[in-house]
Amino acid sequence: MTPERRQRVEQLFAAALDRDAESAAQWIAREAADDPAVREEALSLLASHSRAGAFLERPIAESAPDLLADETPLASGATVGAYTIVREIGRGGMGHVYLASDARLGRAVALKALAPHLVRQPSHRERLRREARAAAALSHAGICTVFALEEIDGALYIATEFVDGRTLREEIDSGRRPAVDEIVRTAREIALALAAAHARGIVHRDLKPENVMRARDGSLKILDFGLARLTEPADGARAALTFVTDAGLVVGTPAYMAPEQINGGEVGMPADVFAFGVLLYEFACGVHPFGGASPLAIVARVLDSDARPIESRRAEVPDGLAAIVARCLQKAPGDRFRSAAEIVEALRAAEGAVAAPRARHAAWWRAHQVAITIVYLAAAILAWQFKEWVETPITVGVFLALGAAATVGGVLRGHLVFTERLNRARLAVERRRTRRALSAIDIAMAALLVGDAAWIAPVRALAALFALSAAVAIVLASLVLEPATTAAAFGDDA
Amino acid sequence: MTAHADQPPAAQELAPLVYDELRRIAAAYMRRERPGQTLQATALVHEAYLRLASAGTPWHDKRHFVGIAARAMRQILVDRARARGAQKRWAGLDRVTLTDALAAATSEAAMLPALDEALTRLEKVDAAQARLVELRYFAGLSIEEAADALAISPATVKRRWALARAWLFRELSDSPA
Repeated sequence: MTPERRQRVEQLFAAALDRDAESAAQWIAREAADDPAVREEALSLLASHSRAGAFLERPIAESAPDLLADETPLASGATVGAYTIVREIGRGGMGHVYLASDARLGRAVALKALAPHLVRQPSHRERLRREARAAAALSHAGICTVFALEEIDGALYIATEFVDGRTLREEIDSGRRPAVDEIVRTAREIALALAAAHARGIVHRDLKPENVMRARDGSLKILDFGLARLTEPADGARAALTFVTDAGLVVGTPAYMAPEQINGGEVGMPADVFAFGVLLYEFACGVHPFGGASPLAIVARVLDSDARPIESRRAEVPDGLAAIVARCLQKAPGDRFRSAAEIVEALRAAEGAVAAPRARHAAWWRAHQVAITIVYLAAAILAWQFKEWVETPITVGVFLALGAAATVGGVLRGHLVFTERLNRARLAVERRRTRRALSAIDIAMAALLVGDAAWIAPVRALAALFALSAAVAIVLASLVLEPATTAAAFGDDA
Repeated sequence: MTAHADQPPAAQELAPLVYDELRRIAAAYMRRERPGQTLQATALVHEAYLRLASAGTPWHDKRHFVGIAARAMRQILVDRARARGAQKRWAGLDRVTLTDALAAATSEAAMLPALDEALTRLEKVDAAQARLVELRYFAGLSIEEAADALAISPATVKRRWALARAWLFRELSDSPA
């Protein structure tokens, strides 16, 4: 665009701002009717202007002061009290985290230097001590142990067990999707650790893949238990997000917040349950269940939309596990598991259901599929015989239709049997996909048989009766037998 | 100062100096900050100016200094945001209407690297507008202060500011999702 035309856009835009919103666009359209490019540019800028809200109106240094004041990290070899810094291993909203060695006990610790603005207020410090004490009381193999809260030269440090490994975030970002048994094992380990904390009334509040480490030996450890609270306002009740706008700090991670957490409501164990669901979903599928282009889009979807079912992204996720994740992701806290202990229980039940009984009864289900396929064939042969006896367009048509239906139905059922034998994890999805088609085929075949029987009855009454009974057999098998054998084999009638 | 008035030192030579000073003052401020107070970007720039000017640092004039400080603030903050890996989590302003508070909370720091790139594009289209954004958003100058620093009328600042905001908002909204 030439400078002259750009200038014209600017003039139109500026003049439009003096008009009321409705007439401004019309005015631009009229004024710049001769130059569509100028008109479109001015209209587009006007539209952006009306949507921009308070965009950029607050200086960044005021809305994110920690960004500016972020102090230089401690160098390797520096000493802080009894600790010697080895290296920086991370940084987050709470401050820098170092690998350090504790001279008194000669052990490696993770030393978290809390950002100064978190601990300015005495009430804040007091609460921090309380929370650290509660967190230190947690002793579980799946939880990173808090050793001490240290006050050194007016600054606060939290010393915790050092977990050498990588976070689930890194595993998720690596792009490798875990196998089903790995998903189940991960779910169980995290749920057990979470349940141990919940049993003591301690809520994590900021469970996310960044806060779960897989140690080199493969075991999982949850980090920062109960510490999320430290970064909330001292008056407690108000949402973390309110604090964000007061002090310009992002507290908690919006993408892992339960709806009630985003809305500033009561945050309890169900919020951890929700975060667990999001985490597990992301671990299994590599994408966020309420995936959106930006944190804001995710927050909006967490509040308003349902998650896309996990089994639609990873078909091999067992039904039981999929149901657990779906329940964790419910909007209303009351619709989720009340605590992690309930998740542990549900996981156990789901694993039990996957194991023994299904394998035993699947044989009946297979026998059913084969038997129905044979009935399909018999029906087709019967129709062929009718056509031989009385060759009219109708009997020929019925034979062709029955033959086609028998072929399709037989192939679908064969496909299910093969899937069950060879790719068991995929079966639930395949059953869902074919269920309607199979019901429709059963009904259609029964109807065709009845029609054919009525046509042939005057000539061959006995054969007509046989066709009728085959029709009844197909309908009954479809409506009564199949749900029963399916339920016996897979624990549902889907 | 007069000795340097004819040949003001280049901005890039002075930027590191201003950068360090701004960071030092901000850090000290954060340590002593009292509840209810918020960091004022303009006060920060002003204090840095007083310190550096009294130390005899060669500024053309305060306007010159403010321009460099705004640029330095942009560099500091964008670098910090980048160091935090912010760009990985941010992929465009959202069109969903939520409160501005929420928007600021979830994406402001994360937005900086993308904003910086958009600002670089704006520089090519209209450098004066990009300068204005640095003064207003990074150095926290009011409309009147910015008018003074750029030697133009407040009405012009207001107009350009509205345009720059709309332009940048559009750039960031159109980021690939």
